[in-house]
Amino acid sequence: MKKENNTDKITRKDAIKKMGKYAALTAAGTFLILNPLKAQSASPPDPGGNPFG
Amino acid sequence: MNNSLAPTYQRLFGEYWVLWYEASNSYSIVEPEFKRLLDSYLKSKNKKIFVSKLALEDKFSNPNTILENIHTYLNNCNKTITAALERLDVIDLTKRSLLKHYLIKGKTIQIYYDSELVLNTIHPALAHHTIKTSDSVQITFDIYVKNGQLHLYKNEQLISCVPKHDYHLIQGKFIMQLLCTIHNKNEADWLGTFHGSTITDGNTSILFVGESGKGKSTLCALLASAGFNLLADDVSPMLSQIKKIFHNPSAISIKEGAFNLLQPLVETFEDLPIVQFNKRKGLIKYMPCKHPKKDSYPCDAIIIVNYKDMSKTLLERASIKTLLETLIPDSWLSPNPIHAKEFLDWLETLNIYQLTYSDTKSVTAELSKLFKQLNKN
Repeated sequence: MKKENNTDKITRKDAIKKMGKYAALTAAGTFLILNPLKAQSASPPDPGGNPFG
Repeated sequence: MNNSLAPTYQRLFGEYWVLWYEASNSYSIVEPEFKRLLDSYLKSKNKKIFVSKLALEDKFSNPNTILENIHTYLNNCNKTITAALERLDVIDLTKRSLLKHYLIKGKTIQIYYDSELVLNTIHPALAHHTIKTSDSVQITFDIYVKNGQLHLYKNEQLISCVPKHDYHLIQGKFIMQLLCTIHNKNEADWLGTFHGSTITDGNTSILFVGESGKGKSTLCALLASAGFNLLADDVSPMLSQIKKIFHNPSAISIKEGAFNLLQPLVETFEDLPIVQFNKRKGLIKYMPCKHPKKDSYPCDAIIIVNYKDMSKTLLERASIKTLLETLIPDSWLSPNPIHAKEFLDWLETLNIYQLTYSDTKSVTAELSKLFKQLNKN
């Protein structure tokens, strides 16, 4: 469910210049961590479309 | 360094490393440069050695920042999964208002529902398996709402209990129990249930994934009407060891937006009953499909589907990163290390594509061609 992704607007080249290569490489948002669902599920309802009110 | 935080498995897929962490059952996708740095950190005897190595390679970075970043990354990847509390709620037999019988793969199943609303979470997708009554019932399910919680019981034993708004979790749990019943398996035998629909040509199968509304089910309905067989809609279960996708007996759920497209192409589409369950999703039709010849098929390709009005049919290779970003957050993958390894083994054999389509004829032709190719390999 949790997903960390790069949302920074500066380019990788700019980041490397600013912080140094390895600091940019390890900064939060430069890698992905994907967690599967903890239990089996069918397609969840669309936002606002839950029949249970 | 603290090697207990190191990934349990690591595999290179083209330009990306996929790392699996047992503590959190998470999959991390990183580039080779990051992986090299992580390895160097984990192999260093202590912080001092790592920092001095860093100073030689990168004089611009602050070593403490890098150390902190790597710690944060590894801690995030090793967040322990908290087990759900076991509940022992005793079944409330007064909730047995509606009863339906089903015959699926030779097994007679009865389900008690407490209301029409709850019945609509399960029954429409299985309605084509309904039988009038039965003297010999193998499995009994009870599904009801009590104190704002949806309960699922199998033979009067509580299987799951979730807030009623999370009814999709009860649907998922019910499908898992149903699959175990009809295929004579235990929950621990499954490697995962993928959020996607699977089609077979009788030899191999293709799993179609993508966000809700991107045309997965519509495409499967098209292919099912063109001579292929539906293996599973919405929930595609893969069994451990043999790594095959098994038949899910639910009908394909078709949203209102696709009715016009499918009406002329699918025989009897007009006669299918319309269900309004979810106001926002609008009307839904459940299209039953023929049982495939076998109960399970190997899956050799995954396609990320994207229906786009007026677009040409375009089938192109996609990266592991694009696939896993779509597949993992919406799928249940067993946290068992043996299963995680099998999942990675299977990914290594997969052909990964993304598909943009709008024209029904050309997309059917393109996918028929792909099935032929997969059979040659």
